[in-house]
Amino acid sequence: MWLKRHGLRLHRRLFQWDVAIAEVRSAGRLAALLFLGTATLSSPAFAQSNDLTKEVPAMGISPLPTNSILDPEWGVGSWIWSSEVHDKEYCQLWRAFDIPPSVPVTSARLRITADNGYRAMLDGRELGRGSDWRSLTEYDVTQLLTPGRTHVLAIEGFNDRLEAGVLVGLRIKFADGRFQEVASDGSWWVVPEGESGWEKRKSPGKTWSPAVVVGNFLSAPWGTKPYGTTKPPPLQLITLRFWQTATFQIALAVVCVGVMLICLRLVMELMLQSKAQALLQRERDRIARDIHDEMGAELTQLVLQGELLQNELPEGGETRSQIELLCERGRGLGHALDEVVWAVNSRRDTLRDFSAYVCKYAQTFLQPTTIRCRLDVEMDLPNAPFDLPIRRNLFRAVREAINNAAKYSGANELFLRIHRQGRGLRVAVQDDGRGFDPASADHTRNGLANMRERLSEVGGVCRVRSQPGAGCLVEFEIPRLHVRRRPWWLNWRRRSGKRIRVSVPSAEASPTARPRSAST
Amino acid sequence: MKLETHTSAADSRTETRPVRVALVEDKRDVRESWSRLINSLPDFKCVSATASGEEAMRVIPPIAPDVVLMDIFLPRMSGIECTARLKTLLPKTPIVILTASDDDEMVFLALEAGADGYLLKRIKPGDLRTALMDVLSGGAPMTSEIARRVVESFRQKSRGRDETIRLTAREEETLLLLAKGYSNKEIADKLGLSIETVRSHLKHIYEKMHVRSRAEAVARYVSARTA
Repeated sequence: MWLKRHGLRLHRRLFQWDVAIAEVRSAGRLAALLFLGTATLSSPAFAQSNDLTKEVPAMGISPLPTNSILDPEWGVGSWIWSSEVHDKEYCQLWRAFDIPPSVPVTSARLRITADNGYRAMLDGRELGRGSDWRSLTEYDVTQLLTPGRTHVLAIEGFNDRLEAGVLVGLRIKFADGRFQEVASDGSWWVVPEGESGWEKRKSPGKTWSPAVVVGNFLSAPWGTKPYGTTKPPPLQLITLRFWQTATFQIALAVVCVGVMLICLRLVMELMLQSKAQALLQRERDRIARDIHDEMGAELTQLVLQGELLQNELPEGGETRSQIELLCERGRGLGHALDEVVWAVNSRRDTLRDFSAYVCKYAQTFLQPTTIRCRLDVEMDLPNAPFDLPIRRNLFRAVREAINNAAKYSGANELFLRIHRQGRGLRVAVQDDGRGFDPASADHTRNGLANMRERLSEVGGVCRVRSQPGAGCLVEFEIPRLHVRRRPWWLNWRRRSGKRIRVSVPSAEASPTARPRSAST
Repeated sequence: MKLETHTSAADSRTETRPVRVALVEDKRDVRESWSRLINSLPDFKCVSATASGEEAMRVIPPIAPDVVLMDIFLPRMSGIECTARLKTLLPKTPIVILTASDDDEMVFLALEAGADGYLLKRIKPGDLRTALMDVLSGGAPMTSEIARRVVESFRQKSRGRDETIRLTAREEETLLLLAKGYSNKEIADKLGLSIETVRSHLKHIYEKMHVRSRAEAVARYVSARTA
């Protein structure tokens, strides 16, 4: 039994498809229909109407309204179509009707058939399809009608050949016993082909024409009485889950597209950034090389020629001492260039190199003074990367401290200590000189404020400990060797909080003191 | 007559013939200036000025100069490779590296390859003479940074396979003090040695470095060049 029913259903469905396919006129139409058909097949309304279809014998509607415009026995109006009838033709028929407010609808039944086929829609929702003019279908649309609303019946009729017509009758019964009827008659409108969204329109368009009654019910050529009435189960309101609603799906799509765009942007930004970083590195190396090879070599040569010239002049002469001064200046300039090269050269961005450079600076600087320079540097400092802004600022601060010691301390020994501390670095400059009282010292004059600022710029601290007669200890602590490069969406702290400079060395990279010139 | 020539080598050098210097430098201006500078120093004479490592390998060995001044950056064969090769031919001749800026990396490589010291090109003529005399009299000048590197490299190597050449405790002590910024004289005072002993320690350290690297040096620089 079950098998038989299902077999029958399958057969019906196939048959419907056969007809539908036979009926299509153009390929575009076929595609549209296929799409609609698939959509309908998967929609709950269609599934219901097909699954539980049962044949019932023909019967009238009772009790009948007194002034009914529908056929009393079959409950339909007249055969209608557009003014002209062609073979292989579609006809879109449209009719709006108002449901009075505040009275509930107790029953609403739509009977329909067409020669040769139809697709019936209520408020844009497909109710069902049919293709046998001798059989009526009765759709129970009670649930779909809302009091106080305008509803729209839209029928897409199809004519295979010769005569064409659509037969419709809608009878609505209200709770207070009143009736409302819609019959297929001249009050319907024919919608021109190509109109979109017509099945949902609440009012007829200007280009639409009235439908034409092509024959009364049971008149020729449709004289035969209907075989029967098919009654699909009552149509229910489609309740959509929130994720099935168009709004949600559109929102989801928008979010997805948004996320994709953001990802794309980030990836591109990352690519650009790393590219820019590599470019910057290359450019820095090139500048360093240029300065070193071109300017440095030329300068050295210049000084050398000066020396030679000086040697050839008589001793004690004015010109000779002038040239000596010139050579001295040239050497000073050479040291300044070296520092620029050191700062610019990305090959020098290592902890080890920093340590070597600072030590060498201290030794060269203190050599002509009476202060002996002692180094206390951690053995096996790694070749860990040490970012330029940090190492440059730290170097300048250390240089300031050494200069201070040379100028004011009168010390015998100066200790330069460089040790790793956690993930950062600790550099100390300690002398055994006369010391001072940090509380009363003029911080702007002796550069303490300057050192503090340099360190705080890279997130470090600078501590000065001194007592009159007990030397001085200047400590610099850097918490890390890298400038934090946060992704831009985490950058709010950098914008609002303290600034960290990630800039390329600026033009003010020339040193404030030169080791050799200090001796003159 | 004969007695006079048999006086000490250093004396005979200063008295009878000047120190013969060979110069390797690719830039013509610089080469000419340096040879003029060397010739301007009393008792120094520039006997050869070559422009490339290849030329130096051809010209210098037959001359057998007292000291070779070698630029690091030479076209094709680098100054470091040339040093290593020359050292195999003239093991007794001191080779001094000339460098534009103190690039410790390069200097250390050159010292490992067999150089006996290095000079900055920006050196004052007065200092140049002192430095050259120091090298000639068997001194091995070493800066703190180089001393650090030497200690580190010996520690690293001794962890590996090569157990034959190691620093003695005294040598390492000397190096560590040097790395801390003490001068040769201060080290001598601190360790209760004569300054000559400190100098001979340093000389031995250099020799150990050379011995250690000589075997691999030439091959290494050749392969580095072709890479």
